[in-house]
Amino acid sequence: MPSDHRLHPTSILFAMAGGLKAFLLPAIILLLTTGRSSRAPSGSRGLGPGPWMSGWMPGDVEIANWQFWFLLFLIPSALVAVARYLSFRLQYEGTELVIRSGIIFRNERHVPYARIQNLDAVRSIAHRLLGVAEVRVETGGGQAPEATISVLHDTVFEEMRRRIFEGRARVVQGDVRGDAARTDTPAPTVAVVEPRTLLYLPPRELLLNGVIDNRGMVLVAAVYGLAWQAGLFRDVWGRLARGAFGPDFVRETMLMLAAGGVPSLTRIAVVLAGIVALLLLVRVLSMAWSWIRLHEFRLSRVGEDLRTQYGLLTHVTTTVPLRRVQMLTIRETPLQRLVKRMSLRVETAGGHGHGAPENGPKQPREWLAPLVRRDAVPALVREVLPGMELSALQWQPLHPRAFQRGLKPAALIAVATTAPMVGLLGVRGLLVLPFTLAWLGVVTWKQVQHMQWAATEDAVAFRSGWLWRHVTVAPVVKIQTVSCNESPFDRRATMATLQVDTAGGGPHRITIPYLARETAKTLYDRLATQTAQTAFRW
Amino acid sequence: MDSGAGESIADGVARQLDPRWIPVQRIHAAISFAVICSASFVGLIAIWIASRMLAAGLLLLPVWAAAVAALAWHLYRWPAVTYRFASYRIDEQGLEILRGVYWRTITSIPRSRVQHTDVSQGPLERRYGLGTLVVYTAGTQHSQVKLPGLDFTVARRIRAHLLPGDEGDAV
Repeated sequence: MPSDHRLHPTSILFAMAGGLKAFLLPAIILLLTTGRSSRAPSGSRGLGPGPWMSGWMPGDVEIANWQFWFLLFLIPSALVAVARYLSFRLQYEGTELVIRSGIIFRNERHVPYARIQNLDAVRSIAHRLLGVAEVRVETGGGQAPEATISVLHDTVFEEMRRRIFEGRARVVQGDVRGDAARTDTPAPTVAVVEPRTLLYLPPRELLLNGVIDNRGMVLVAAVYGLAWQAGLFRDVWGRLARGAFGPDFVRETMLMLAAGGVPSLTRIAVVLAGIVALLLLVRVLSMAWSWIRLHEFRLSRVGEDLRTQYGLLTHVTTTVPLRRVQMLTIRETPLQRLVKRMSLRVETAGGHGHGAPENGPKQPREWLAPLVRRDAVPALVREVLPGMELSALQWQPLHPRAFQRGLKPAALIAVATTAPMVGLLGVRGLLVLPFTLAWLGVVTWKQVQHMQWAATEDAVAFRSGWLWRHVTVAPVVKIQTVSCNESPFDRRATMATLQVDTAGGGPHRITIPYLARETAKTLYDRLATQTAQTAFRW
Repeated sequence: MDSGAGESIADGVARQLDPRWIPVQRIHAAISFAVICSASFVGLIAIWIASRMLAAGLLLLPVWAAAVAALAWHLYRWPAVTYRFASYRIDEQGLEILRGVYWRTITSIPRSRVQHTDVSQGPLERRYGLGTLVVYTAGTQHSQVKLPGLDFTVARRIRAHLLPGDEGDAV
């Protein structure tokens, strides 16, 4: 059995852990908080042999009935996990990966190497201690990964990557024509290609990324929720409520402000200090998060693939073949602009699923480059989309009257937000209107100014956003459909919206609004013709 | 109706949908109209009785009748209106679909991007000899584009033209 692989035996454990994860946290918390029988015995709740089981437990740990049933529910999932482990076979055949699974319902899945969009490996701490990895194979079809293989031994994964890479090189060599994404010579078939580092994030950059990225709040919320569950806060809040800085303090301050009164200086100071402390805490947490999550982030080019590796606790390796890049998006947030950094992501056809894949936690694809110096971006773009010169793009503005068009919905929004204020504060609420109008006017003006498009021989690009800026580039070979939409308002102003659809999803798409109708039509015809003249290759 | 089977359908000429599509859609509309009508009538009666304003409630009846009549008129007229604004064009490059009365859309699906196609027929469509062409692409927003209201044989001819492998891909 030279090319026949099974799952790693620990996959049974991981499969069960995966099933458990959903209720694991509440279970632990309940065990911690109510398990010690300091209160009335909970065994009387519900049916089951809980009290009887408790007799067998060491110490004063009490097994409630729900805990017993909970354990019982584990049995089917354990059986499934064992069956999966026993039946799973992985084989490399000529140009495809063959995955066999199932005992009663046999399933044999053939995944041609040439169709594989990307190959990811995720290693959590547990995975790494045991030297295994969860592998995801994504092809273009569907929303979930084509195959989530949990878990394989590291050496097996390495072999899989080598074989898929080799197999693909062989397939690619077979038919080279018609692929604009590949301009270099085909990768040598067997020779091991030296990885070339395109981007490495030292700790300093990671901490900077943490400061810029706003992940801290998520962590605070999670920690707070956890602590709340564990009952840690009951005491704290109780003390706060009795003292000067309880929830009443906040409420009183709000009331005072609403009544038009001026709070005392100490009040202001306390509130400000609280806010500053919270913001600092959030940023520090965010820095820690970034440092742990993206530890030793390295983006490298291995032959015709882009490989990213990162993570201190959960180690992630992703491999994206260059020719699979459907769309490229560059993002610049206000804070990033301040420190002259940008981030870059690529969309592939796989992995834009709605919701989580069937098994395994949701793992949204990270940015290809979470933080790049602004002056290094063009080189990186050239690397990802060969022949793409960002500086050579000739950006075209929208229709001259686009601002007037955009102003109308903005005015509606302003009125809609003022209405409740009038209801709340009476006529004085109307004072809000000029401010919202002015603000939305400025935003609309800036947004329209920053919305621009560009089309070249082999790509179309769209950029938008005033504070949060995005630039998206789609190669013509990757365009699927082009459409030109006209709403009744568009028609009155002889404008149109151009929409370019690619196989890659993502947060920023190429949908260009407020174009002059002739411009839109010209661009539409041009893109449709260009697209039709190229062959799409996954 | 379309031209004979001899000539190619890929002539780049904008074509209307099959006129039989109008009665089919009217029948569809009539079915949903009947459902809406009866449901709203029952609801109206229920409100009327529950509100115990029997005399005032009588006024509701003409309002309801007027609303239903307006809906019926709209549903009768609408298929003919949408028909006027829907067309498709096929050439060597691929398929182009125009539609929408107020919100107008032109979508271009190049032949080289067609993943696969379906020609489907509902019971009513079968009776009228019509078919719906569904073109699948690898895209995300327009991963399937439907073109209903085609003569069944025309739909199959378009499918045959769009299918990859026929006289080689346009590279």
